[in-house]
Amino acid sequence: MFEKRYLASRLTATVLLLAAVVVAAVSARSYLAMRDPAPHVDRVVPHAGFEKHRLSEWFDGLAGTPMDTDVYLQQGAEPGGTVLVLGGTHANEPAGVVAAVVLLERADVQRGRLIVVPFANPMARTHTFPQDAHPQTFRFFTPAGTERVFRYGARTTDPVNEWPNPDIYIHPQSGQTMAGIERSNLNRAHPGLPDGGPTERLAHGFMRLIAEEGVDLAIDLHEASPEYPVVDAIVAHERAMELAAMVTMELEFEGVPIRLEPSPVNLRGLSHREWGDETDVLAILMETCNASAGRFRGKTDEALILDGEDKAYDKAAGLGRLYVPWESYNRRMAERVGRHVTAVRLLADNLEYVRDGKGITIDGLPGYDELSAEGVGAFLAD
Amino acid sequence: MLLTWIYWAITVLAIVLVVHSLYRERSLREQFVAAMVLVPLLLRALFIK
Repeated sequence: MFEKRYLASRLTATVLLLAAVVVAAVSARSYLAMRDPAPHVDRVVPHAGFEKHRLSEWFDGLAGTPMDTDVYLQQGAEPGGTVLVLGGTHANEPAGVVAAVVLLERADVQRGRLIVVPFANPMARTHTFPQDAHPQTFRFFTPAGTERVFRYGARTTDPVNEWPNPDIYIHPQSGQTMAGIERSNLNRAHPGLPDGGPTERLAHGFMRLIAEEGVDLAIDLHEASPEYPVVDAIVAHERAMELAAMVTMELEFEGVPIRLEPSPVNLRGLSHREWGDETDVLAILMETCNASAGRFRGKTDEALILDGEDKAYDKAAGLGRLYVPWESYNRRMAERVGRHVTAVRLLADNLEYVRDGKGITIDGLPGYDELSAEGVGAFLAD
Repeated sequence: MLLTWIYWAITVLAIVLVVHSLYRERSLREQFVAAMVLVPLLLRALFIK
């Protein structure tokens, strides 16, 4: 019927114009809701002993900007090393965020110091990618029935904060060229610039934090698509490789199969490369398996984020196209968070074997089996 | 700042042209297409900073 040209008139044009305005208004309202979420969204309840700071205390160029983010520090009774854990470098990799929140709400530091940044790139939490159809939030329930809601964001900084991207992004320190959108990717912006774009300035803030606090071990928590080769993996800077190898073996002993990958020396802008090159820190990046950000996925909903259930991935697994065993134990949020939390604990436990007097002991963290059996909600505060 | 105004002006110009096409077009299908093009343009105009 649309081919009958006489159907179009000034009236239909006006109706369609109004419809377009309504659709734009509804979309705008939904979009703005992510920038100004309700108080219960992304709420965290730090464990006793944590002090709340802002990243701008280390780099005042972030003060009063959307780049600034919360930094939590807990000092143990005994002196030791310092470990920094970042979640949310990529806001569409939710297990990294949730694992950092579990650390923040459960960690009881006995020796050394723990620094946790649960939402490393706050500007990536205010939008989702166009046409990716991701839900804006996902939720857990604590044993008392309290709903804990977190935003599902994007890999890159919101274009409202950093736009437009160039056709080609040139990493400032190395001159390496990348796709233009990588200018908005925190994990291509390290070590950052004090006077660069918002994402580069944010990266500079983390570099200042690491340098000024004398961080011994820095761990960046990520997730990767099941069809991406570096998944269920620890990626380690060459100076952190001995520690990472020890932890890889311990994870295997605990029934958590994991790959060990060297940080490529010629792939610049990544946390595990630049932090390790620019400072004395042992730099580690962790990847778990996240089907909700994968390209093969079908229906994209909260169940996919939390359980990884997807017919298209089932088929891809049957065809041998995935880099992970496609079993429920590997794709549920509980096990993905369990991997991250267990690896952080083991990395901290083993730090003293590669750095004398820099041991870190963290009590109170749930084990992989506990998280797997009871779910993430059981280990979040009310 | 100048760049922001340039982008804003380009977006508003595009909106004006699409609305003009919407009213000039005599095919309902083409009117639908114009309306769909309008949605992201309106959003862009709202959120350019």
